[in-house]
Amino acid sequence: QAIDDDCNQTGQLLAAMLDWPQGTFASRVQLESGGVLVEREVDGGLETLRLRLPAVLTADLRLNEPRYATLPNIMKAKKKPLEVLPAADLGVPAGPPRLKVLQVQEPPPRAGGEKVESVESLLGKLRHAGRI
Amino acid sequence: STGLTEDQKEFQKVALDFAAKEMAPYMAEWDEKEIFPVETMRKAAQLGFGGIYVKPDVGGSGLSRLDTSIIFEALSTGCTSTTAYMSIHNMCVWMIDTFGNEEQRHRFCPSLCSMEKFASYCLTEPGSGSDAASLLTSAQRKGDTYILNGSKAFISGGGDTDVYVVMCRTGGPGPKGISCLVLEKGMPGLSFGKKEKKVGWNSQPTRAVIFEDCVVPVSNRLGAEGQGFNIAMQGLNGGRINIASCSLGAAHASVLLAQEHLTVRKQFGEPLASNQFRLADMATRLVAARLMVRNAARALQEGREDAAVLCSMAKLFATDECFGICNQALQMHGGYGYLKDYAVQQFVRDIRVHQILEGTNEVMRMIVARNLLQG
Repeated sequence: QAIDDDCNQTGQLLAAMLDWPQGTFASRVQLESGGVLVEREVDGGLETLRLRLPAVLTADLRLNEPRYATLPNIMKAKKKPLEVLPAADLGVPAGPPRLKVLQVQEPPPRAGGEKVESVESLLGKLRHAGRI
Repeated sequence: STGLTEDQKEFQKVALDFAAKEMAPYMAEWDEKEIFPVETMRKAAQLGFGGIYVKPDVGGSGLSRLDTSIIFEALSTGCTSTTAYMSIHNMCVWMIDTFGNEEQRHRFCPSLCSMEKFASYCLTEPGSGSDAASLLTSAQRKGDTYILNGSKAFISGGGDTDVYVVMCRTGGPGPKGISCLVLEKGMPGLSFGKKEKKVGWNSQPTRAVIFEDCVVPVSNRLGAEGQGFNIAMQGLNGGRINIASCSLGAAHASVLLAQEHLTVRKQFGEPLASNQFRLADMATRLVAARLMVRNAARALQEGREDAAVLCSMAKLFATDECFGICNQALQMHGGYGYLKDYAVQQFVRDIRVHQILEGTNEVMRMIVARNLLQG
């Protein structure tokens, strides 16, 4: 999930373009012979997928603990060369942007709940709302 | 972190992260069980904390005294006692790096910078603390060796460390007769006293170091005969900044603990907000102490004439003020502050000794007074 627009697309787009399997929001990755076992963070909990390689994986923050930077590396960081590549060199057009933002809105405010008198009443209301 | 460069902020961040994750959760256990956290210190050394101001060609990080102060202050928020030992270790490695010849530097420094081996600084004796130049441990020249006889007291790391930087008498009385020798554990005639039971600094063992006809090769002498006292004092200038920095870290952590407690604890129907002025005093004094220490660090780095005096002033001021701050923080916790379940009492116990070692605060006053009255 990109930190600018939060779109959560790049990994998935890449997998589709390459026609490779994808394991996104990976919180645990285990290599097996011929494939990889990926445990994913999903809204309801965890989902485990077995993918054949090659595959596209995207990392969730639970995947690893970042290493500490060492003092010598911090000092070397300033001296590392920063190569600037113009987009044209990579055969990628720099503009116009291919994404257009149509609308940004807040989620609707939470509607009030309702208290019911009996279990039957509760079940009736849930069925009526199409929830069960 | 105001006034720091980008790099220094990065160093501080690594040190604070390390302190919070690798040290703070264990500081109480290390204190209670008197554990010398060798593995944790080696992890720190992997990040470059084993020889912070030692030259890179022998494994050091080649940073400045100010960078070092920032790092020790940050590490100290995790465990003051362990950080203080690390600063002593760093001081010893620097002494070998600076005053050793090429052969000695390459023989000792790399394994010390990685903390594969640990070091101890041996100056104090049962009969000479503040009057360090009157030390008695003798080193008789015999061919291409010295034979050492005598003992050192209160040696941090003593018995558990591998390399000992020992100030001993090769010549006549007074400072000019003192030389500096590097000893290694396992040398015949080198033994250790019992582990001392201390009020704080429990994550580092403290023992007497005993020399009985201990044979040391002349090739283990740092610098020239008679240079030892000077080497010891130069080591201490940096050491004083480091110890003061450890006090700063403890005080900083204690102020944060006090702040937290004041917002949580309610009496008479309100949070303990009435202590806000006391907290403000504590914070103000902490900043003042920190500025003294950082200023002294800069002066030492630049080799300024007044560096030694500034180091003494900074050590005196910071260790005294920070003890007061930690003590106040404990007071603000009320009865809870006295329980070992709460970290603040450990900071108080750990930094109490900073007002005593590496030159008592009385000796610091002597140094400053002498400088004033001579100049």
